Amino acid sequence: MSADASLQQLLDRRPDLWRGRARKTFPAVSTGLAWLDRGLPGGGWPLGRLTELLPRLSGCGELGLLLPLLARCTQRAEPVVLAGPALVPGPQALLSAGVVLDHLVVVREAGESLWAAEQCLKSGLCGSVAVWPPAGRVGERAVRRLQLAAERSPGPTFVVYRPDQSPPPSVSALRLGLSPGPEVEILRSPAGLVEARRLGPESESVVDLERYRRHARSMQ
Amino acid sequence: MPARCNELWLGLHCPQLPLLAAWQCDPEVPELHAVHVHRRGRHVILQAGEAARHAGVAPGQPLNTALAVAPALQSRPRHSRAEAALLEQLALGAWQGSSHVVQAPPDGVLLEIAGSRRLYGGLRPLVEALCADLERRGLPVRAGSAPVPATARLFARHGLHAAGRDAMRRKLHGLPLTALALDDRQAESLAGCGLDSVAELLCLPAPERARRFGPVLNRHLLCLEGRAPTPLAAWRPPETFRLKLELPAASSDSTALLFVFRRLIGRMAHWLDVRDQALTRLHVTLHREDGGGRIPLEVGLSRPGMDADRLLELLGLKLEHLELPAPVEAVELRAESTDEHRPPQADLWSGHNRGDAWPALLDRLKARLGEDGLSGLAPQPDHRPEKAWRWVEPGTTSSCEDERPRPTWLLPVPRPCRRENLRLEDGPERIEAGWWDEEDCRRDYFVARDRHGRRLWVFHEHQPREGWFIHGLFD
Repeated sequence: MSADASLQQLLDRRPDLWRGRARKTFPAVSTGLAWLDRGLPGGGWPLGRLTELLPRLSGCGELGLLLPLLARCTQRAEPVVLAGPALVPGPQALLSAGVVLDHLVVVREAGESLWAAEQCLKSGLCGSVAVWPPAGRVGERAVRRLQLAAERSPGPTFVVYRPDQSPPPSVSALRLGLSPGPEVEILRSPAGLVEARRLGPESESVVDLERYRRHARSMQ
Repeated sequence: MPARCNELWLGLHCPQLPLLAAWQCDPEVPELHAVHVHRRGRHVILQAGEAARHAGVAPGQPLNTALAVAPALQSRPRHSRAEAALLEQLALGAWQGSSHVVQAPPDGVLLEIAGSRRLYGGLRPLVEALCADLERRGLPVRAGSAPVPATARLFARHGLHAAGRDAMRRKLHGLPLTALALDDRQAESLAGCGLDSVAELLCLPAPERARRFGPVLNRHLLCLEGRAPTPLAAWRPPETFRLKLELPAASSDSTALLFVFRRLIGRMAHWLDVRDQALTRLHVTLHREDGGGRIPLEVGLSRPGMDADRLLELLGLKLEHLELPAPVEAVELRAESTDEHRPPQADLWSGHNRGDAWPALLDRLKARLGEDGLSGLAPQPDHRPEKAWRWVEPGTTSSCEDERPRPTWLLPVPRPCRRENLRLEDGPERIEAGWWDEEDCRRDYFVARDRHGRRLWVFHEHQPREGWFIHGLFD
């Protein structure tokens, strides 16, 4: 093995090492939203690493942005796990986004969301896992454990913080702040360089309001 | 009435049964161990382990003498209930060789093998298969066969086999009188007559034997010769499995409990195996030492299975989360809901069996989170939004005819809000329903923006209370 190759191998093993502009991007999978894919390093949700979502308020897109991914996974019969969400995901909205509910599992016991997510990740069976850590301070160790487990899972893994929680220093590949709109701010991106820090959809809304208007009109 | 000539009975005899039964729940059996009984006012050794026998402990010895001979000896009183349970296990093992099984308490079973012998390709392969299976399950047995059930039972003690009546008679006659395993009183009266071999005893005319040694012994001898039918009660594996094991000493230690779980599950797996069934639900009850009640544990399997290791893991998880208020003295296991066993189907293309791993994962999660800790979601046909969905068992197929747009997040309970903070964007959608079940509601639903620019699903309620409420969030 040449010295060059072995050096490269060493560097590959340490993705957290600052290497100027020549950083390697992580493998990623499309988010299903063109504007988001264009903005995110690697062109989508990172695989085998954590993606942290920090909604400024609850309901800022922490589920809406994942819907295309969840739909794609469940349509391929890959189980999807939502561990410990504070609110109830609306089944009608999930269905209309194309999610096959047979393959969706919600961990309702919020206090055990981290443990449950870790088990799901370690099994390597889930298409995607999103975990809402229990209310209160989130420990660095807990997130590190999730990161280790995420390396064994084939799909992307999301940690969604509550609006009053601050994330610990972590090893995540991507940290996104979410604001109503939805507007996505890339807060941290060791996964690769980004062009713009603020991203938003071209069209005004993710929700198909036109359909709602039509329906409301027909009811009157 | 002579027995039918084409029958062949196999006797299985477990010589160590009392010893095994008394010590079955100990993770570590001491080297010098024995089991004793209360006989004529004193404790007498019934059986001793191999090391204890080498140390000089012998059956029939008073317990005090045995303890003097081997001070490190640990002896337990005989446990008849545990023996009966082990005998059931033995019968289950025998059931695999024949459908005509008879228990011969206290430590043997009989099975009729004239038909199944052919299936196994002879007597020897059949006996070897049964003995190996039972040995694997911790029940070493001796086997013997004869055309007559009572004789097969006797031959099992001595490892004798006789296929025909003549051979049986010859071998029976060759046995010493002690081989008959008679009780003390009978043995004494026989010895008093100067008899010392079975041949001499059987040569006596039957009425004479009855007069001298009593009708019970005579009847037994007639059965052995095949001149009288042996009373037999056919045994069948029980429809439901129920087994209670007592811990050697009350304990709240999880290793001790897990060991007992392993024993119980091993037995249950055997039962499932024999019946070719699989398990869907398992009930375990821990009996508290202080009589303060029972602690129920329940494990459900999302896919019928019989994997002992998996069940044990699930029980271990349950146990981990259990605060035991008092030591446990006994563990009872009940397996009810059995389904016909379907062997796991491997994925043809990917080779590995993902189909089984997912239910296993769900079971593990449920074991810790509880039945309600993990759910799937399904819409429900109801106009009232709070009744239009429900939690379901994960994997439940559902679809929705309703095309109305609904929010991505629902608040578990609608939250009151102030009208002046909302900017209504769309609506109203009038929902008026529920007069039939006294949860009547009349609401106008709107899509609205709050101060932060979030899109909310709000409603203005007219009935039963007037006001504005947030019901969901368009994420």
